[in-house]
Amino acid sequence: MARSSVAIGVIILLVILMSLLSYLPAPGYEIKYPSYFGDRIFIPADNPTTEAGVKLGRMLFYETSLSKSNTISCATCHQQQLSFTDGKKFSTGVDGTMQKRNTMSLANLLWVRNFFWDGRAAGLEEQAKTPLTDPHEMGQSLQISAKKLRKKQAYPSLFKKAFNSDTIKEAMIVKALAQFQRTLVSAESRYDKYLRGEYKPTVSELNGIALFYAAPDPIKGMRGADCAHCHGGPKTYTELFQNNGLDSIPSDRGRELFTGNDFDRGRFRVATLRNIALTAPYMHDGRFNTLEEVVDHYNEHVSNNILTSPFLRNRSNELNGKQLGLTNNEKKDILAFLHMLTDSSFISNKNFSNPFSK
Amino acid sequence: MTFKYIAGIFLIIGFSNFHLQSQTPAKGTLKISGQVEKQIVLTAEQVSKMKHVTAVLTDRGGKNVNYRGVSLQDLLGLAGVSTGSALRGENLAKYLIVKCADNYEVLFSLAEIDSSFTDRVIILADTTGGNPLPVDKGPFRLIVPGEKKPARSAYQVREFVVKFAK
Ligand code: HEC
Ligand code: HEC
Repeated sequence: MARSSVAIGVIILLVILMSLLSYLPAPGYEIKYPSYFGDRIFIPADNPTTEAGVKLGRMLFYETSLSKSNTISCATCHQQQLSFTDGKKFSTGVDGTMQKRNTMSLANLLWVRNFFWDGRAAGLEEQAKTPLTDPHEMGQSLQISAKKLRKKQAYPSLFKKAFNSDTIKEAMIVKALAQFQRTLVSAESRYDKYLRGEYKPTVSELNGIALFYAAPDPIKGMRGADCAHCHGGPKTYTELFQNNGLDSIPSDRGRELFTGNDFDRGRFRVATLRNIALTAPYMHDGRFNTLEEVVDHYNEHVSNNILTSPFLRNRSNELNGKQLGLTNNEKKDILAFLHMLTDSSFISNKNFSNPFSK
Repeated sequence: MTFKYIAGIFLIIGFSNFHLQSQTPAKGTLKISGQVEKQIVLTAEQVSKMKHVTAVLTDRGGKNVNYRGVSLQDLLGLAGVSTGSALRGENLAKYLIVKCADNYEVLFSLAEIDSSFTDRVIILADTTGGNPLPVDKGPFRLIVPGEKKPARSAYQVREFVVKFAK
């Protein structure tokens, strides 16, 4: 009698404990990044980053059943070893159609507010809906995705842990994906080590850094390429939409298609240069196969028309020059700097890799 | 991707008729929002009818260029932002973010723009040399006289947002 009431008591206690546990918020996930990246980060109040959410998001990122054909996942186009790109000019979607624009690399998205080449998606949660549901990408409604995941053994409990919900809801899929992608921080390149005083750059790398940041001023005899004017500080990213003079008549109107403003014609979001040596081909249409071609573009072929950013027109290292006018050695120095931005630990980080491959 | 459909819509409404030449005056409006009494949107035409003053900017070649435009204090006053004698106490913890078409942003404290604190007059310029500003810089450009760098004399200004420092 006494023993069985103790047993009942223990069971009741356990039940209370377990139900309490499920009300506790999932433990937070601390995203680590260097102070020189700054704290202007973006995490929506209704989707805090948690251990369980990131774990689930990583699985979903590699989950092929989120596609209509059960054959492709986010990682088909966004492959870790290429800083989450796929080396193609245009990636192929589930229906065999090519994408309209080049696949973007995914690094340091925590600092981005408006996603895609034209900034049309405000936030990672909203962004994820496009590849999931677009008939030319993964081609499956969120409703069907949620239904398929409910039937898979692992997912109901993972969603329960991440969102404390007994059913898998559509919004949770994009929330978990966003949480995982916010953890994709790249900050272990040679350039980072240099910034932290742990690496001594070569002469060429140092000159490349100087040229990247300096504006050309032939009157004062200052040599520069002024890349930082748009590409910014250590993150090599600022959220600006610019026309970098690729064409006189842009065939892709870029941000204009989203805003409807004629002055946005041919403007695209300034891209991060982190891991840039891994993410060829380059630009929104993948027109350049090598970084050498990119530097040639900025140095010799910027289209001088009213749509091109004023910061790229008539800026020169020569008096009254129309193009940048760097020497071949200076071009090599800038390339040396761009190669410093490769982060080999980012592309081998086990926390970002395919959780299904053992 | 979905922008294909958006592109289609624009084609239907005849976007192809646009002409982008440096002579055509730039279109665009100025919005004043945030911690203001009333949010307002001004067209280039409305701004052109307000009281204009001249401000001088030293360009990259070291040459002084005259710009005409409306003082920021007047513009903020229109939206009911505290200026002049009302700019004291906690209002001194307010700041202005200037937002541009390319997403560029620069910041000023309200005291920096107020004639009860400084003689420097920052203007929202809409003409130079009697002509409207070119499309790539207009219709509005901020002119911040007396600074060593022109980085705050931002092009293609689209919005003023007033906020409280938290
Ligand atoms: C078929 C190839 C393909 C698949 C599959 C795909 N993407 Fe993408 N991704 C792209 C392309 C192409 C772009 C650029 C599109 C644009 O700008 O219009 C892009 C852009 C992005 C961006 C924007 C990055 C930035 O800096 O703005 C994010 C984030 C992203 N993808 C995440 C995902 C996620 C999450 C999934 C899975 C749910 C996914 N992608 C599946 C091709 C793909
Ligand atoms: C006026 C602003 C601006 C300046 C200055 C500028 N860039 Fe860019 N850069 C951009 C924009 C915008 C894009 C994306 C353009 C597109 O895809 O159409 C870009 C793209 C790139 C890319 C390709 C990124 C990718 O993922 O495909 C590289 C590499 C690059 N820039 C390097 C440089 C270098 C090196 C310099 C200095 C010589 C420089 N940029 C100066 C605005 C600028």
